[in-house]
Amino acid sequence: MTRDTPRSTRAARLLTGGPPLLFLLVFFVIPSLIMVLTSFRFPGEFGGLAPVTAPADQAAGEYGFTTEAYAFFFSDTLYARVFLKSFGVALATTLACLLMAYPLALLIARSEKRFRNLMVLLVILPFASNFLIRVYAWAIILGPQSALSRVANTLLALLGMEPATLLFSPFAVLVGMVYVHLPFMILPLYTNLEKHDPALLDAAQDLGARGWQRFWRVTWPLSLPGVFSGSALVFIPVLGMFAVPDILGGTRDILIGNLIKDQFLGTRDWPFGSVLSIMLTLAVLSVASLTAWFARAAGRTP
Amino acid sequence: MSPRLLPALPSLALLAWLALAAAGCARPDAEAAAAGGRVLHLFNWNNYIAPQTVERFEASCGCRLAQDYYADNEEMLAKLAAGAAGYDLIVPTGNAMDTLIRQGALQPLDKTLLPHLANIDPAYLDTPFDPGNRYSVPYAYTVTLLGYNREKMRELGLPTDTWALIFEPRHLERIKGRVTVLDSQRELLAAALKYLGYSANDADAAHWREAAELIVRAKPYWAAFNSASYIKELAVGNLWVAHGYSNDMFQAALDARRTGRGFAIDYSIPREGAVLALDSMVLPRSGGQTGLAHRFIDFMLEGENAAELTNLIGSGNPNVEAKRHIRPEIASNEAIFPDAGARAGLETLRDFDRSQRRLLSRMWTEVKLR
Repeated sequence: MTRDTPRSTRAARLLTGGPPLLFLLVFFVIPSLIMVLTSFRFPGEFGGLAPVTAPADQAAGEYGFTTEAYAFFFSDTLYARVFLKSFGVALATTLACLLMAYPLALLIARSEKRFRNLMVLLVILPFASNFLIRVYAWAIILGPQSALSRVANTLLALLGMEPATLLFSPFAVLVGMVYVHLPFMILPLYTNLEKHDPALLDAAQDLGARGWQRFWRVTWPLSLPGVFSGSALVFIPVLGMFAVPDILGGTRDILIGNLIKDQFLGTRDWPFGSVLSIMLTLAVLSVASLTAWFARAAGRTP
Repeated sequence: MSPRLLPALPSLALLAWLALAAAGCARPDAEAAAAGGRVLHLFNWNNYIAPQTVERFEASCGCRLAQDYYADNEEMLAKLAAGAAGYDLIVPTGNAMDTLIRQGALQPLDKTLLPHLANIDPAYLDTPFDPGNRYSVPYAYTVTLLGYNREKMRELGLPTDTWALIFEPRHLERIKGRVTVLDSQRELLAAALKYLGYSANDADAAHWREAAELIVRAKPYWAAFNSASYIKELAVGNLWVAHGYSNDMFQAALDARRTGRGFAIDYSIPREGAVLALDSMVLPRSGGQTGLAHRFIDFMLEGENAAELTNLIGSGNPNVEAKRHIRPEIASNEAIFPDAGARAGLETLRDFDRSQRRLLSRMWTEVKLR
């Protein structure tokens, strides 16, 4: 009996941990390794990759392995500027999402239990229609003939300012990004806030804390893990997003996602696309570890 | 059901759905096979054959035409490279066909099975991509040109027959924010090179720099790089000028007319010349129905059948016999059927080599960032 237990625990552990581990191995680790290998190859004449060894009928040329794609990446600051810009957009999106999601998550968490599931359902509901259709809908909402644009431009005219075009601008890209990613901020915040013990707030009130103090000294510090996981869930996907700037962006809104997509679909330069992807992965990993570190540090302080 | 099974329900449902989906995909072919019919697999552009043409072909051959679609050449090449097999016919554009030929992915045509080949205008035969047409038969073409709001252009007194309209600040400042250009490195570079008097396939670094400067100077006046929604934006009046494809402009003009917007969308080929994209029918080696595929090609070479696509989407038509069956307002449109002079200025795009592609991509990124 006593010997059976550890064995069955091990089996259970293997059963529960094995499939996700296998999944990550097959769909994350191995593809990443393929990507790293690709980044050291030459691009093929028709796209794809040049063979590793020269074909029999060809003279030795651009075959085998090379670091030229990396050299190209570091040869000037152009690509670093695209990264910087993408990080700026991702940061702005994350902050806007946080500002909008926090009050809503708090509202849901504080409402009566029987309404909560319905409200969470309403947050998830937009996912029922296709992502691209929702983004195209924004192209109509922000278009020059929309009610929104007319109201905005009437107000601007009253203030004596030039009319503004909303569509095809950095503003439109930000709106699209925030709209698409908002639920990813609300949900982790809500799961965190919902778990808070209301007795803590009562205790704070009994000890004389006013409304703002109760929030700032009790609720906010306790919700930080939710803030960090929500931020990671917004920040990281925004970095790789290319459809939103493609549809809503203007003539300057190129982000790293567009650049990578273009290497594979337009330029047919897989090695350079791989280099860009690797750089993005490294950047994302460092952001994620930074977030984790902050979350831990925040968790330690009371 | 025991509660312990409940968490597994979603994945079970997913499995069941996948199984059903797989069964659903397999069904049409299985049905056709059961009926003893043959199936011709066509890998085609979206909306690139008229439904009535398909019906008549199916009736004439006693077979079924199964179509898969792609939205651009790169997508088609990528799918073939990823191992998609079993297509009997593909309709690639010149440079993609060039790739397929050089990869050895196509089988030569048997011209004895194509008696109607003589219907094709010789100007569209014997292209640099396929000298002597060993592998390909022209299907349709588009021209990359300028579409515009006719009333606005008249009102502002702007010239509509030159690339200057989208490159020269003196014109652009009057239509600022109402212009889009294609989100395509090759197409935009080609337009700029043409405007500067060079070939669309020019790969000279100095000429590229000149073109990049031209683009950067004009860029602040453009609303966006846009390859997707300019049809709609032109048709509803949000855009006044768009750089785009003749098929799309045909659609925009049609939409504007049907909705009675009070203005017309027109389009014309700039006098400096433009890009012509010729799509051709080719037979991939992996296809099984070689005889049926030849039969389809010859069927599409008959004037009446070739004309239907032009009547539907306003595509350019290399078929001389088709002209009689094309609606007169399309046949007389010089942007779709350019006269000899305009045709001399049209060029097909050739693929750049890999290092040129990489440099062009960097230039494009730089242009977009500025």
